[in-house]
Parts: sequence; C-alpha cells; structure tokens
Amino acid sequence: MITAQQLHKAFKTKTGTVQAVDGVDFTAEDGRITGLLGPNGAGKTTTLRMLYTLMRPDSGRVVVDGIDAAQDPAAVRRVLGVLPDARGVYKRLTARENIRYFGELHGLTRAEINERTRVLSGQLDMDEILDRQTEGFSQGQRTKTAIARALVHDPRNVILDEPTNGLDVMTTRAMREFLFKLRDDGRCVIFSSHIMQEVAALCDRIVIIAKGRVVADGTADELRERFGNQNLEDAFVRAIGSEEGLLA
Amino acid sequence: MSRNLRWMWCVVRKELLDIGRDRRTLFMALLLGPLIYPVLMLGMNFMTEKRMKTEQDRVLEIPVLGAEHAPNLVAHLATLGIRAVDPPADLDAAIAAQTVDVAIEIPASFAADWHAGRPATVELISDSTQRNAETPARRVRAAIAAYGQQVGTLRLLARGIDPAVMQPVAVGTRDLATEEAKRGMLLAVLLPYLLILSSFIGGSYLIIDATAGERERQSLEPLLATPAARGAIVSGKIAAACIIGMTSLLLTLLAFKVSAQMGTNAARMLDVSFAAIGRMLLVLLPMLLIGTSLLTFLAATAKSMKEAQSHIVWLMLLPMVPTFVLLVNPIKTELWQFTVPFLSQNQLLLKIIRAEPIAPTVWVVYLVASLSLAAALWLLAVWRYRQERLAVAG
Repeated sequence: MITAQQLHKAFKTKTGTVQAVDGVDFTAEDGRITGLLGPNGAGKTTTLRMLYTLMRPDSGRVVVDGIDAAQDPAAVRRVLGVLPDARGVYKRLTARENIRYFGELHGLTRAEINERTRVLSGQLDMDEILDRQTEGFSQGQRTKTAIARALVHDPRNVILDEPTNGLDVMTTRAMREFLFKLRDDGRCVIFSSHIMQEVAALCDRIVIIAKGRVVADGTADELRERFGNQNLEDAFVRAIGSEEGLLA
Repeated sequence: MSRNLRWMWCVVRKELLDIGRDRRTLFMALLLGPLIYPVLMLGMNFMTEKRMKTEQDRVLEIPVLGAEHAPNLVAHLATLGIRAVDPPADLDAAIAAQTVDVAIEIPASFAADWHAGRPATVELISDSTQRNAETPARRVRAAIAAYGQQVGTLRLLARGIDPAVMQPVAVGTRDLATEEAKRGMLLAVLLPYLLILSSFIGGSYLIIDATAGERERQSLEPLLATPAARGAIVSGKIAAACIIGMTSLLLTLLAFKVSAQMGTNAARMLDVSFAAIGRMLLVLLPMLLIGTSLLTFLAATAKSMKEAQSHIVWLMLLPMVPTFVLLVNPIKTELWQFTVPFLSQNQLLLKIIRAEPIAPTVWVVYLVASLSLAAALWLLAVWRYRQERLAVAG
C-alpha cells in the first residue's frame, strides 16, 4: 500500500519558482490499480518520483507498506518496483544481463534471478529477445526489458510512469493484461497516463491531477456521477477545468 | 559495509562487461598508450642519436668570409673535417633561411694582429636559437679554440717558457651522477609526464560513459531507484575505471620494457626492472584515483556527455605544469614537494628512473597526502551523486 500525504514540491528555474506539486494526497490500495491521470506537465512524474524516493518532498509524507520514505528510503526502494519516465536500458548488455544487474543490486541470488527472469520473460512474452543485446530494440522491446528489470525482485508495490507510451496497439493490450495480472496477484499498482481511455479501461481507482493538485479522486463511475456526465472524457475536462493537454 | 561492497562489486562487473562489449573504446583505453608511447620515445631517441652521430662525424662545409687572411687556420680546420667554402652573397639571409648553420668571418686585420702577437679576432656567426646549428657551432668553436691553444703553446715554447705556467689551476671534474641518471636525461622530462597523464585520465573513457553517458541514455534514474546506496554505485564506477587505467599503465610500462630490450644502446635506458615497475605503479595508483574521482565529479555535474568530454582538454594540461616549472626553474628536492599533486609524482618517478633510493618518510608523506586528496575528491563525487538534481536533470 502506498500513501501520499499532502505532497508539495517546487523547482527553482531561471524564470522563477515553479510549484510542480501543490498538495497531492491519495492512497493506493493493495490489489488495486490506481491511475494518475492528468495533462502533460500536471505534476504526475514529479509525484511518482517522490513516491520512489528519487526526490524529497518539500513537505508532506510518503508511506509505503508502513515505511516512511523520509526515514528509510532504501527500505522503501526494496519493496517498490519502478518503471521511471527515463527507462534507458544498457545497450551493450543483453536483456537478460540488464535484468540480472538489477537483480544483483536488489541482493538476489543467481538462482532467484534466473527463476524470476524465466517467469517475467514468459509473462511479458520476451523469450526470443532475452539473449540479444538491447541495441536496436524496438520501443516495445525496450519497455518490456525495463519492466522485467524493475520487477525482478518480485515487489509488492509497482509504480509505472506512462508504461504504454510509444507502444503499438498489440503491445499495449499485452501490457494491460500484464497489469491486471499484477493486480490479481494482490499487488499495489500505480500508473500514470495522460490518456483518459487507457485509465478508464484499466484502473480501479482514478486520481485526476491538474496543476499539481488532486482535482478529483474515485472510481470511474463515481467520477461520472460527480460531474454529471455519462462520458468520462467530459468528466475529465470538467475536472481539470480546460481541454489543455487532452490531445497531447 | 559488506552490503556496500557487494553493490560496488556488482557495479564494477557490469561496467567492465559493458566496456568490454565496446571493442573500439576498450582498444583506445587499454592499448593506445602501450602502443604509441614506446614508439614515440624510441623514435625520438633514434633520431637524436642519429643526428648526434652525423653531426660529429660528417665533413662540415662552413662558409668562410676572408679565408685568404688566415690560410693556416683554414688548413687546420680542414684536418678536423671542417671545409671552408665560399660564402653566399647574403650571409645573414642564408642563416635566417637555415641554408647555412654556421659561418666564420676572418677580418682583414687578422694577419697584422697575428704577427704582432695580439689576439687575432675570428667571428663565429650563427643563430643561437636554432637548435639545428648547436652541434656544428660547438664543433667549429672547439676546433678554433684548439688551434689557438696549440699555437699559444708553441709560442711559449719558442720563448723558452713552460706552457704549464699558463695553468696555475687545473680544473678536474668528478661527475657523481650515476650511470642510470646520465642515461635517463631525456627520459627524465618525458616519461614522467606521459605516465602521469595516462594515470590521470586513463579511466576517462569509462567514467564519462558511465556517468554523463548513463545520464544521457536515461538509465541513471532506474539505477537510482534500486536499493543500492549511491555511494556504492559511484565507488563501483570509479573502481572499474581504475582497473582499466591500471591495466593500461601496466601494459605501457611492459611495452617500454620489451621495446627497450629490442632497441639499441640509448634505448636501453628505458629498461627498468620489474621492481621499479611495481614502485611506479604504486606512485601512480593515487594519481589514478585522483583523476578518476575528479572526472566523475565533473562528468556528473556536466549537462551532457559532450560537456563532460570538453573537460579533458584542460585536464590534460594539468600534469604538464610541474614539468614546465621544473624545466624553467629546477628546484632541489624537498619533503614538502611530495605533498603537491603532479609535482610529487614527477619527482618520485624521476627517482625511480634514476634508481635512487626513496626514503620511507617520503613514501609515507606522499601516500598520505595523495590518498587524502583522492579521498576528498571521492567524497565530492559521492556528494554529487546524492544530489537530487543529478538524477532528474537531462
């Protein structure tokens, strides 16, 4: 379970201070897929980065499985599997070696790594590319490698930043099935997207973020009801108060 | 602690595997130094030796202005392989254009002064900044001086005086320089610089790729999302670069040894014992740590790989500073010098090349000072890796 409590984060830029996240507050339960939905630049990536301890919030608290991220960030990272926005794989290593490297950093034994690689490779349908150097991989193959690498230690909590970005229809469908599988295993899954339909199709719970704030939070039905729209897209537009970013 | 070491070892193995797959970069990092430096040094040696020989033995053709005023002198010079030729129309221009290295001018008053027993003037004309003219000018000067000496002695004898009265003091020289030191003169300037340079930036290929490159290829953020401590990650990268750098240095020194054994007399001076190679590596290891840590810090601060690479230009100049300072202003060896980076390595390598003993205090002072600096730079690199901006920017 992942809890974000009143997260704030500001960045200094040449033109002044930008308040990227301004009071984000939500809870992601185990056995549920929680979607962060918002237009580009809404603060989704910054929020996720605070969840996986890459950034420290200016104020607010992140708690993962009862561990305070500010107190013990390393322990939080141990129970998290993270697919960040930046998902570069090592080009001169094979997919298997990429996965092994992260498994070793998580302190797994060689046997554990081999077993997890076998399982994940089956689930992600990547047996054929497993022993190829990742140089020249397609976007989908790279994403699969990055996801397998992120989940090698069998984490209870999974955070994915725009996992379907740049994937074709077939790969996106496969990815969806994979996320359902993670949920059905009882894991806590958080993923971010700016594509409304995707969030609607996948998520048990939707957190809509705009301008660094949570503007709506609930199941798809609750959101439709709350904004008096049968169409979730219209509800989304009403919630963020503009059409900005929807077409991006 | 053991967990940190495990993470570090894991990073070391991955970085070495990664660069191992990049054959061309690995070749540049490991073999360029060992292949180029010995060829460079031996080639230079060969050319100097050849020039010395030819300049000493071959017949010099020297333009002589007013040769008719001193036919005996000209004849004497001819016996020493210095043949007088007619001067070109514009002698100054010919010297400036380097078609003539040295010329002699014998003024019309020569014969009159000679017969009157006054010192007769002979002018040697050359451009003292032309290194090419150095050897012939020295030869001609020595030949003329020998002629003067000979005639002077004869004149004293003709007057019934023992020529020894002209030498109230006889100056003898006892050169205490060891054979190794004498042979190592050329080496003294170049070899330390080359070795310090290779150790200082020997790990640069790997470290730039593993820090600035990793960030540019966007694999740094996932790496930092693992539980591995950042200090362990950056230490692993530095250690991997040091392994590459150390291997390259060892190969360079061995290459010197092998080529020295194949070479001629002068090349033998490159022949150092295995014990000396071991001591050189001990001197250079802290330098490797200093260079790699510094570069890690700089590359982690740089916005792109290109910016990180641009640092190499000024870093390459740093090791030259003590070499130049010593060239212009040679100083005596004192203990404080062994705390100054670059200068200390330079002095220590010189001592090893000259087969001089190194006092234990010098070793202690040197190792403490250089390893402290390396540790400080390492901490700086770790501090940089702990910063939030590192993972996010780029």
